[in-house]
Amino acid sequence: MLACAWMAASVSSAARFSILRSHHPIGASTGYMYDRRGDWPAQVNEAWQVSPFAIELSALAEEELDNLAGYLASGPPLPFRYLSIHGPSKGRSLPEPALVERLAEFSALAAGIVMHPDTIEDPAPYRALGRTLVLENMDARKEDGRTVDELAPWFAELPEAGFCFDVAHAWSIDETMSAGADLLDSFRPRLRHLHVSSLSPELHHVPLTEEHEELFMPLLQRCLDVPWILEAPPRDP
Amino acid sequence: MSKENELDGSPLEQLAAASGRDFPNLLKAREATHEGLGLETRRVTLGQLRHDDDVAVVLMGSWGRAEVTAGSDDDFMILVRGADRDAAAPSIEDVKTILDRAPGDQGIFGEPVASDQLIGRIGLDEDTNSNLSRRMLLLLESVHATREDIHEAVRAELVDRYLDESVKNYRVPRFLLNDVVRYWRTMCVDFAGKERRGPEKWGIRNAKLRTSRKVLFAGGLLPVFECSNRARDEMPEFLNGQLRMPPTDRIAYAFLAHGAPDPGGRALGAYDDFLGRLDDDEFREELESVTRDTSKGSPAFQDAARLGKELERGLLALLFETESLPKLARDYIAF
Repeated sequence: MLACAWMAASVSSAARFSILRSHHPIGASTGYMYDRRGDWPAQVNEAWQVSPFAIELSALAEEELDNLAGYLASGPPLPFRYLSIHGPSKGRSLPEPALVERLAEFSALAAGIVMHPDTIEDPAPYRALGRTLVLENMDARKEDGRTVDELAPWFAELPEAGFCFDVAHAWSIDETMSAGADLLDSFRPRLRHLHVSSLSPELHHVPLTEEHEELFMPLLQRCLDVPWILEAPPRDP
Repeated sequence: MSKENELDGSPLEQLAAASGRDFPNLLKAREATHEGLGLETRRVTLGQLRHDDDVAVVLMGSWGRAEVTAGSDDDFMILVRGADRDAAAPSIEDVKTILDRAPGDQGIFGEPVASDQLIGRIGLDEDTNSNLSRRMLLLLESVHATREDIHEAVRAELVDRYLDESVKNYRVPRFLLNDVVRYWRTMCVDFAGKERRGPEKWGIRNAKLRTSRKVLFAGGLLPVFECSNRARDEMPEFLNGQLRMPPTDRIAYAFLAHGAPDPGGRALGAYDDFLGRLDDDEFREELESVTRDTSKGSPAFQDAARLGKELERGLLALLFETESLPKLARDYIAF
């Protein structure tokens, strides 16, 4: 009886192979750490506990940029081998050239500065960010930047920009993940990192479910070389 | 088969097709290596020099990697098949009249190199830093300029020496693996040694360690791992076939063989970008002048470092996240 129970557990865990757990270049986005907003040391510490490899520092509201710049200027001892910054997508008031100038201050430290294409009005100033700029595919709520056809013009205007593949956003467009495969087919040479999560019915990022991990697996397997940034806490074991 | 068709069929070309990533700089450099005033012309001119029966002129470095750009040196070796001797024909001076971009100042190519020393002195005190470097460069990134038969024969003898009686069927040849890993670590340690002597050329050395030296190492490591799919008597032919290809082809071959074309396209794509930038005088000059202290403010160095990381991440994914290589990496890389 005991042997059977052990075998059942063993088979069960084999069936639940987690590509997420076997992927080394992984990290957390501070974007999901709502209760620590503004406390960068606390956010960094929480991200470090997820993985010391990578972190995405999220300044989703423009007003957070000053605070982030001040924190980074203080020279905190960051252990991460890959650091990206998520630029603001809400609360925007700065003219775009001024915003890009602020973002460019991070470019010596950050491997990537992620922007939502639907928040960009004029791509020209963003060319100054060169390869550091990374454009993310958008979810179904947005009106631009969701599909290959919608992203292609942005990359034509910003030829050095990288691609951040948000797997869950692709799922919100097409639950078969065919649109996600199209995004990878078209923009894979530009791929810099992934955003990984599942989505709630309201399309908010939630921990990646086992079902979604399995569904996303064929696409995740094409992205083994780039950091995967968790946009929600890791699910409980 | 025309050269163009040969390029179309190369593993690098196959990876380009499979990954959707072109490698314009690598392919342009391959063309520059062979065409114009490249390898074929030099072979004709060098072939007119008087040669001893047992001597070949061998090109190394970017020639061996088929990555010649405007700033490449003419690293060459006068290779003697057999015992060491003081003089050989052609002489180094004769060759330098044709290969006018003199070798680097390391001195490892400053005298004729005898195969008996390369092959007979592996390990222990007599295997000097220079002997190890010459042996590994001959093995991993060399191409004949004259006397292809001598070059091929010496390389085959060297491979045979590594594949000695200790090698087993379907196992990684550990002796060869250890020497390849040893050379990579030696390059890394020597980088620190050179930095201690002075900051000159720190930036370009650092950038090359992150890129072309890593390609050299991976181009040796991956074929050695592939031997684990072969019986012992199949290994020499396989290894000699791999070593005839440029390292980037060996790496492309491995990404394709292990079902990782997308990471392969991005890894060699980053290397392709680096090579393209290196062909730009301004970029190269900035790399040559940057020091550890000024590196954070150097866009060229930061760019090179970023591309080096992208190359490294692709190679690490290949070694540690594909189907079968992680088992070999676990069993062989650390111990």
